[in-house]
Amino acid sequence: MSTSLINDWGEWLPRLWDGLLVSLQVTGLSLVLGFVIGLGFALLSSAGSGLVRWPAILLVEIGRGMPALVMLQLVYFGLPGVGITFDAFPATVVALTLTTAAYTSEIIRAGLRAVPAGELEAADALGLSHVDAMRFVVIPQGLRIALPTLMGFAILIFQVSALAYSLGLPELLGQAYSIGAATFRYLDVLVLAGLLYLAITIPASWLVDRLERRLSKHLG
Amino acid sequence: MTEPLTSPARPILSIEGLSKQFGDHTAVDDVSLDVRPGEVVAIIGPSGSGKSTLLRCINLLESPTTGRITVGGIPTEVDGKVSQRELVALRRKVGMVFQSFNLFPHLTVLRNISLPQERVLGRSRAEADARSMALLEQVGLASKASSHPPRCSGGQQQRVAIARALALDPSVMLFDEPTSALDPELGLEVLSVMRQLADEGMTMIVVTHEIHFASDVADRLIVMADGRIIEQGDPKTVIDDPQVERTRTFLSAIRDR
Ligand SMILES: Nc1ncnc2c1ncn2[C@@H]1O[C@H](COP(=O)(O)OP(=O)(O)O)[C@@H](O)[C@H]1O
Ligand SMILES: [Mg+2]
Repeated sequence: MSTSLINDWGEWLPRLWDGLLVSLQVTGLSLVLGFVIGLGFALLSSAGSGLVRWPAILLVEIGRGMPALVMLQLVYFGLPGVGITFDAFPATVVALTLTTAAYTSEIIRAGLRAVPAGELEAADALGLSHVDAMRFVVIPQGLRIALPTLMGFAILIFQVSALAYSLGLPELLGQAYSIGAATFRYLDVLVLAGLLYLAITIPASWLVDRLERRLSKHLG
Repeated sequence: MTEPLTSPARPILSIEGLSKQFGDHTAVDDVSLDVRPGEVVAIIGPSGSGKSTLLRCINLLESPTTGRITVGGIPTEVDGKVSQRELVALRRKVGMVFQSFNLFPHLTVLRNISLPQERVLGRSRAEADARSMALLEQVGLASKASSHPPRCSGGQQQRVAIARALALDPSVMLFDEPTSALDPELGLEVLSVMRQLADEGMTMIVVTHEIHFASDVADRLIVMADGRIIEQGDPKTVIDDPQVERTRTFLSAIRDR
């Protein structure tokens, strides 16, 4: 019985592996794009001018308030209604990018705010422009402060990417479902898929922990 | 003798009728002050008397409510708005050292000093680094060039902060309680760097509770209370024979510490 389970797993593994790669691809792309947009929104939503700040904060709050599943469905099933059509893969990337941007902009904004005000004053007193002060003093430190939280969020988005099965994207959970539908062995295949998720998330969390400890030692 | 208000040399820094209001609280109340080139002015006074606010107004970290600030002959009217260009012009001539050092902890000591030179004065990296190293030598920290500030003692950090400000070739240096956050021995190394700077002819305004430094190094001692200058003159004279009751109370309070 247990040997047959292992045989079945061996048979399913290549398809699940392909699914895992798709999961990692949508996660990676969404994170890279989302971080960049998130940094932009973090800067806009800490701008001095309310005319810039408030619209940015509003968009971020909408992005954060929207469940990732709704975001995915909106992009894939909703946007065609206004003439914008995506395949499942780009639709997932767009939706997860938006969610990532909204959340990371808050995480980065908190990091930027944690940079001591005295350093900004020193930058001012030295005659550095505001842009230079952000570029050389605030952003590098703010990102470093935010890094562990950002990485924790990256792990979360990897898990959330499983929701893309609802768009028919052949990512890890989607592959597991279709194997389950064909074999009616949902439990066995889902356990294997779960193990594959854990094979990524557990080492990643461990790395984040180590990084956090190293950074806190350096900045202390 | 106690009021050297008419000095032969043209003042390098002139403050006229400077006031700063926070809401309806007046932190600095109609202060006027001329500082001659090379003069060292020490400011003492109880906590909350407006010493920091006065310094912060001089380089416009705080925008004064009214008044005029003239550095090196170029006046800046500060009623209401100051243009970005005036702001930068003024700050280039005024260096500031803070109680809490405010170094950039993610940059090496050398980068802390070189970066502002490159960005503000447009010096090349090599020029800036050469100047930084010369200054580090001068403050006795050449060996710390590649360390990060959190790895330096407080006294070392403050000396780096002084070098960072000097690297921009200011006409006037402002010090806001530069040794208050330091243990006495570490404070001494900072004071000795400041003394050396004074000997070299730097114009300095120093807010401090170090009465010895004030009486040995300063050319003039100013006592502030409630946002106003209540007494000023030759440091030893003011310290030994204060004319104002509040000065007397304050001096005996800091002596008893
Ligand atoms: N940013 C600020 N907002 C409101 N009040 C302030 C601010 N900065 C200083 N003050 C007030 O101004 C007064 C003078 O403060 P400060 O210049 O720091 O005094 P000192 O340096 O002599 O201790 C104090 O009453 C202080 O509470
Ligand atoms: Mg003060």
